[in-house]
Amino acid sequence: MRDTDVRDIVRSVLCKGLSVAQADQLVKATVPVRVAAGRAVLNEGDPPSGLHLLLRGEVEIKKRGPDGRAQSLGTIGAPTVLGEMSLVTERPHSATITALTDCDFALLTRAQFARLIAGESLAAYKLLATIAEVLAGRVARLDEKVLELTAGKDCPAPVGELAAFQRKLFSEWRF
Amino acid sequence: MSGFEDVNYYFRKAARVMDLSANVERMLITPYREVKVDVSVTLDNGELGTFIGYRVQHDRSRGPMKGGLRYHPTVDLDEALGLASLMTWKTAVVNLPYGGAKGGIAVDPSRLSPRELERVTRRFVEQIHDIIGPHTDIPAPDVNTNAQVMAWIMDEYSKFHGFSPAVVTGKPVDLFGSKGREEATGRGVVFALEEYLADAGAGEVRGKTFAVQGFGNVGSWACRFLHERGGRVVAVADWRGGVRDPEGLDVPALVAHARRAGTVAGFAGSDAIANEELLLLDVDVLVPAALGGVLTEANARDVRARVVLEAANAPTTPAADELLAARGVTVLPDIWVNAGGVTVSYFEWAQNIQQFTWDEDRVTAELRRHMREAYATLARVAREHKVSFRTAAFIVAIGRVGRATVLRGV
Repeated sequence: MRDTDVRDIVRSVLCKGLSVAQADQLVKATVPVRVAAGRAVLNEGDPPSGLHLLLRGEVEIKKRGPDGRAQSLGTIGAPTVLGEMSLVTERPHSATITALTDCDFALLTRAQFARLIAGESLAAYKLLATIAEVLAGRVARLDEKVLELTAGKDCPAPVGELAAFQRKLFSEWRF
Repeated sequence: MSGFEDVNYYFRKAARVMDLSANVERMLITPYREVKVDVSVTLDNGELGTFIGYRVQHDRSRGPMKGGLRYHPTVDLDEALGLASLMTWKTAVVNLPYGGAKGGIAVDPSRLSPRELERVTRRFVEQIHDIIGPHTDIPAPDVNTNAQVMAWIMDEYSKFHGFSPAVVTGKPVDLFGSKGREEATGRGVVFALEEYLADAGAGEVRGKTFAVQGFGNVGSWACRFLHERGGRVVAVADWRGGVRDPEGLDVPALVAHARRAGTVAGFAGSDAIANEELLLLDVDVLVPAALGGVLTEANARDVRARVVLEAANAPTTPAADELLAARGVTVLPDIWVNAGGVTVSYFEWAQNIQQFTWDEDRVTAELRRHMREAYATLARVAREHKVSFRTAAFIVAIGRVGRATVLRGV
């Protein structure tokens, strides 16, 4: 894939407010990575590697459940961004990504990104702002979910057969 | 027929309407405590008499347990258990702060002298004094026990625990009893009928015809109150015979006659009628006020009364209940209709606890209020869920006992 094509993907998918020159600066900081079909791109629990921009191909995202078995969270095709969190945290990867087809990535490592930030790269700061925006959206959705799950439960709700009996007596059969 | 199974039949019917789980049903039905004691005394002739005493405590979620003590040869654990659970539901229907209990002694009191009866009673209290009490379990009169027996119970219990008039109700008015207690059940029965008639737009007691089976405490007082209100009591029977007058019996004269003769039979100016015949008379209201199980599969099809007012406990068998309902006969159920007795027992207990006595007008007014409020709730449940008054009464009771149980926690 030509650098100009990668630049277009960077400007449309990764960070919309970048000028051509700024996008080129980010593209130059990435390294191309090719993963064959069936191989893991990154593993859940591994130390954070960097941001993977999927340029070509399709991947599957899997996460281990409480019982230790991996569950598929879905598949996603190019162009898309994976592992953006690893630029701003040292937490290990939260999911495993496996290539379903042969895949091409542009990898922006944590080290490269740190170097751009240290050099006061406007492109890097714009990318950071975009990541912050994405994370803020996620936090807002999480808040809604937490409210939904805890609504009307000031004290821990009793569970089981007795609780079902109690709900019945205090609603339908209250008199 | 087993007492406990009969009560459970109606309980389960309500539980099905409420769609309760089998485990919740079992939790509500299972009695709290069953006690069986040895009651041995020396008889007047020097012989030893040994009787068995019972006390079953069914549920205590809504307060101290309450229920009668009966002295009868047929008293056993199953009967006591059935009646104890009935008390749980009955006290809940009229919303008294009580749970249910019942007990007694397997003895024929007619074969005991008064002194033997007193010794048996005191010995029984000695055996159960640590499981009864003003805030634990409060006995009351029942079959073959009266105010004098209650007085002995209070005295014996007080020897162990100090002065405790509130340990038992139905005491003599001269010994911390309540005014209006003796006539309470009969009065409550008539209040119950009046509530139903007013709500159903069926007029008042005046001019209506009544057949009453039983002329003991409940039946005779119910007859007096019906007569006072202009009702025509056209037939009355007790276990020795019955009397009939289509124009309406002169109830005060009948009471005087029964007091003299020991039965209503032979009352001047009336025709004789058999018990079984009385149940089938064409009257507005049939009042079974004696034994249980008198309306059965065998005779329920021939009952011509429009309303059955259950002054007795369990006068209608489950099969008869279905037959009466199918024919459109309204059955006003025992657990509400005859709750006047335990309601005024509650007033007696409250007066004992407060060391303050009420006049009879207050007792009567409070009794009417309890019967009225109970009816308002059960009639609403019956309408909303399209069930009989009996099922509605059990639903109300299960709801109240169940809420107390889950709020206290299991």
